[in-house]
Amino acid sequence: MYLTKDEERIYDGEYGWAKQVSIRILVKLGDLYGADRLIPIESAHISGVAYRTIGDASIEFLKELANSNAKAAVRATTNPSSIDTMNQLFSCLPRNVIEKQREIINLYETMGIEITLTCTPYYIRRPAFGSHLSWAESSAVIYANSLLNAWTNREGGPSALASALVGKTPNYGLHKPENRRASVLVKVEAPLKSEADYGVLGIYLGEVLGNRIPVISGLRRRDEMCLKQLGAAMATSGMASMFYLDENYVGERSFEEEISVDDKSLKASYERLSSTIEKPDLVLIGCPHSSPEELKIIARYLEGKRVRDDVKLWVCASKYVRRNADEYVRVIETSGGHVICDTCAVVTWLRELGVETLVSNSAKTVHYAPLLSKVGASLSSLEECVKIACGK
Amino acid sequence: MEILLKGRPIVPGEARGLALVSSKPLSFLGGVDAKTGVIIERGHDLYGVGVKDKILCFPHGRGSTVGSYVLYALAKNGVAPRAIVNSLADPVVVVGAVIANIPMVDYIDISMIKTGDLIEVDGGKGLVRICRK
Repeated sequence: MYLTKDEERIYDGEYGWAKQVSIRILVKLGDLYGADRLIPIESAHISGVAYRTIGDASIEFLKELANSNAKAAVRATTNPSSIDTMNQLFSCLPRNVIEKQREIINLYETMGIEITLTCTPYYIRRPAFGSHLSWAESSAVIYANSLLNAWTNREGGPSALASALVGKTPNYGLHKPENRRASVLVKVEAPLKSEADYGVLGIYLGEVLGNRIPVISGLRRRDEMCLKQLGAAMATSGMASMFYLDENYVGERSFEEEISVDDKSLKASYERLSSTIEKPDLVLIGCPHSSPEELKIIARYLEGKRVRDDVKLWVCASKYVRRNADEYVRVIETSGGHVICDTCAVVTWLRELGVETLVSNSAKTVHYAPLLSKVGASLSSLEECVKIACGK
Repeated sequence: MEILLKGRPIVPGEARGLALVSSKPLSFLGGVDAKTGVIIERGHDLYGVGVKDKILCFPHGRGSTVGSYVLYALAKNGVAPRAIVNSLADPVVVVGAVIANIPMVDYIDISMIKTGDLIEVDGGKGLVRICRK
């Protein structure tokens, strides 16, 4: 892999250990995947923030970086943590756990990384059209590539952090136009109604596509909420990092495979995600974190209703989105719901928070919650979720 | 008898030690205890075994990218393997070996290696030498 003179100096340690180990990570990955050089990025989005997920082991490395004056070279944002420190619900968690989470956040902050604590950094600042990114968080990666035309590989926590500190990423994979061509045509014949149905389609497609890029035709709804659920689910069940809507695809239309998706194809995926949970402990909306528009829709459904006493309603969003949607937050909280920031159901301690069963409109949450927290989980549309929370 | 296997250099450095061989992919996050270096993934063929000072041979890593940080912590805690030998390197293990400075080679047919073999690894040249009596 070609390195500029300046990159070579970083590689040889002239700019300190933090930058050196970072560029070594990038060069190794570049060698592994056949990159020709490093390219500048507009931003990095770093996963590996939630103490629940990363545990004590990563703190050692982050400390070492922070101690050797690591500083972000480009704008960098962070994925959710395990705790919403502003919400009383989380104060029942053990003190040492809260301390550890704070320590991790402080370390990232010392490195000049923005403590956004959200999986939807694109609602805070939208990457420029055609920009190169180094983003971890698979739902944000597929969103950026597919809906924003910003180019990123599916990074992991360490490589996104290394990119943040160097300001570059190895040039391979989805950073190259020739790797962004679609190879599969998906014809959706099943009538999808809600965003939850789009999640089911995503789970199905993630499994059959591997890392191939599809053009998807036949979708009746194209609103952002549905497409976000589709992408997040595709990235959950598979290695998908990108899809095209039929009308947006201008590339060569020679597909190696055509896949028709009817109700029958989706049935198995749907059945796996939907168990019967009539009175869940938690109704979870906002995975990936909600947009202002979604808060508005949720507030509209909740207007004049009251969340039942035996159910918790969480609506997850970034602090930034919460701050800019006062009016909807008020409606949601007046009805007894909680607008939760900085965390989500996938990366917190659900059982310790008294949750054994949940219902969500997010296929990603319904897929992960049983695996990570051993809770029962079922998929329902947003409209249904609100009905379940408030009693029909 | 000596067998020389030629692979691909990943992380430079030389190491000598006893092989610990698994036929299964390994997830470092949740799979290896960072304090003790013991493999704690249930159902893994090395369950309960320590990786400390071994030449750890397995097909490839899997699971969360945070697994890289576990390799770093193993090294910090003095319980890391002396070298890593993979059939096909994956980003999680590669990044882990880079930051923990553990010599690493891939493109090796690990079925040639048996647990307990005395092994020499040259990470810079991509060589694995099996020394059997």
